[in-house]
Amino acid sequence: MTTTREFIAAALERARYVTNERVETALLLALNLEKPLLIEGPAGAGKTEVAKVLAEMLGLELVRLQCYEGLDEARALYEWNYQKQLLRLQADEAGGLRWEELSEHIFSPQYLLQRPLLKAISSPQRVVLLIDEIDKADEEFEAFLLELLSDFQVSIPELGTIRASLRPVVVLTSNRARELSEALRRRCLYLFIDFPGIEQERRILELKLPELEPALAAAAARFVNGLRKLELIKPPSIAESLDWARALLALEIKELDGAALRTTLGLLLKHEADRILVESKSAALLGRATK
Amino acid sequence: MTIRARLHEFVVRLRVAGVRISVAESLDAVAAVAAAGLERAHLREALSASLIKDEADRATFDREFERFFRARAIGTHPARQGQSWQGMAGAHGQGQAGGGPPRPRQPEPSAGSRLRAQPRTEKRQAEKSGGPEQASKTDKRAEHEGQATSAMPGHLARQRAALNRPLASYTELDYEAAEQTLALLRRRFRLRLGRRLKHARRGRVDIRRTIRAAVSRGGTLIDLKWRARRPRRFDLLILGDVSGSVRYASALMLALIAGARDFFRRVDSFVFIDRLAEAGFEQGHLVMTPPLDLYARSDFGRVLNELLATHRRRLTPATVIVILGDGRNNRRPPRADLLLQARRSCHALLWLTPEPRERWGTGDSAIAAYARVADALIECRDLRALELGLERIAHPTERGRYPIARAMS
Repeated sequence: MTTTREFIAAALERARYVTNERVETALLLALNLEKPLLIEGPAGAGKTEVAKVLAEMLGLELVRLQCYEGLDEARALYEWNYQKQLLRLQADEAGGLRWEELSEHIFSPQYLLQRPLLKAISSPQRVVLLIDEIDKADEEFEAFLLELLSDFQVSIPELGTIRASLRPVVVLTSNRARELSEALRRRCLYLFIDFPGIEQERRILELKLPELEPALAAAAARFVNGLRKLELIKPPSIAESLDWARALLALEIKELDGAALRTTLGLLLKHEADRILVESKSAALLGRATK
Repeated sequence: MTIRARLHEFVVRLRVAGVRISVAESLDAVAAVAAAGLERAHLREALSASLIKDEADRATFDREFERFFRARAIGTHPARQGQSWQGMAGAHGQGQAGGGPPRPRQPEPSAGSRLRAQPRTEKRQAEKSGGPEQASKTDKRAEHEGQATSAMPGHLARQRAALNRPLASYTELDYEAAEQTLALLRRRFRLRLGRRLKHARRGRVDIRRTIRAAVSRGGTLIDLKWRARRPRRFDLLILGDVSGSVRYASALMLALIAGARDFFRRVDSFVFIDRLAEAGFEQGHLVMTPPLDLYARSDFGRVLNELLATHRRRLTPATVIVILGDGRNNRRPPRADLLLQARRSCHALLWLTPEPRERWGTGDSAIAAYARVADALIECRDLRALELGLERIAHPTERGRYPIARAMS
């Protein structure tokens, strides 16, 4: 099935995801070339959201693998359910089954714990596989993943080879906690997602919070954009700026001013040092935002 | 010229500009363009998604794209293409000299050879003009930083530059640049060292604990428990020479280690020139107690004496000593015998030096004497090498595991 640009644009619209041509093209290519899509960018710029939206717009299930240091095959691919197997063995002791029969029993799929990767491969429907924060996983795991991403098949010694009937749509995200290997980069399409510009952020706010007054939405977008240009420990993410706008709504704040800011700033800034920095510059920031 | 050939030309251009592109990726690019279409904006995004795998290369891509695909779509009339070829050559100040009439289209093989010839011409010309890569690099960086919309891409470029700059020729400015990327490096170093330490801990099967774990499974040995290698947690004693040009390397080392403190049972940091001083960090700045005379002349022999006299208790069989210095002792007695004493009472001793290997043992360098005592002498030309060298802490007594120069004995 080939996916057209028009379809993607319409589907993104339906999913209420504001985006640009770069993201659209990347999604189009990922679907048509059936290659994994590697997304990099600062934390909170909406990398994971792309995968969620992709699943939503295609009407597919999202299978998510959250990576962390020390993640291994048993957690990512599959594991035998030892406890259940042992119970089965003990239950059979009285029955006197022969070993061959028994082992056939205990190494059958019902004793297999499917982890996200196996689930994505063995699923009868096409799924969207999100491998989140791949940079947190170990290098060994990355190498193992490479093999999987090229063939989409897994060998389980006791069961044989399981091959994906429909290749999952694969999305990987990375925050650059470490450099990913060249080999992985080569196999993926690449998309860098940065924080949105003022105009794009305003559209996001208006789309997600239609009740918000346009003037306030524009001021909020400009203010958050100004914040991200400061040297903050943690610049506010899109989700945080949405939360903040929701708070403005809930508190029935009609205009951005110093008092409004002091009560709500905690939603945008999560470090004390950041808050102090911003409060010292709040007059200038507000002036620029509400001009 | 077919679209395919034209795309291949573009790939070659990017490679010449320093972007690493594999054959598979260039094939992807063709498929991507086929899927996305030839409209300029789409073409651009399709090519960048399939060819550019690192945001640090974005500026190069943008520049080359603008030059290569002047404001027209791909695969237009051949005659006009000839013209654009020439225009492009003019923009680069290379290629077909003289700017004669548009070249007629040539059969494929010679077109290919012309392509291949071009990078070389460019290189030669650049070499002639004096600063070959440096000029193009700074140019690339300046352009890059101008375009960066957020801190991230410029940050990446800076990080890359800081990692590869020789430590021996650092200046205050370079150090400041490196400091800006330090948070990222620290995190990465932490992750990597942690991983190495973890692997070091995995060793033989611990029978007693395995059997105990099996009790809850009805006596079946399912979970293998591993016996930890000892010492499980090292005490770290780091000594950084802060005289002359090595001081930047020492400060960077102390900063990297400070980020991974919790992997060790205890970390003692010292700096020295002619005397020993305890080193600490206050708000990211190196603080020495007592303060050292920064213009003193190095005397490592005396420093060793002080170390053994006052901090003997810190040297235990679980201690790993890491020393960073150039081993240049102003012809004062090196006192390698004292270093040997220290080595005998600890687990391992690593010596890192930012000085390139060619200069080891020249002039007033006493490094050969120290190297005979150390478990390894590690050359750390740049920050990347320093990072790798420090990872060696996880396997301090193992030999030949990493690209490390064994002592010159």
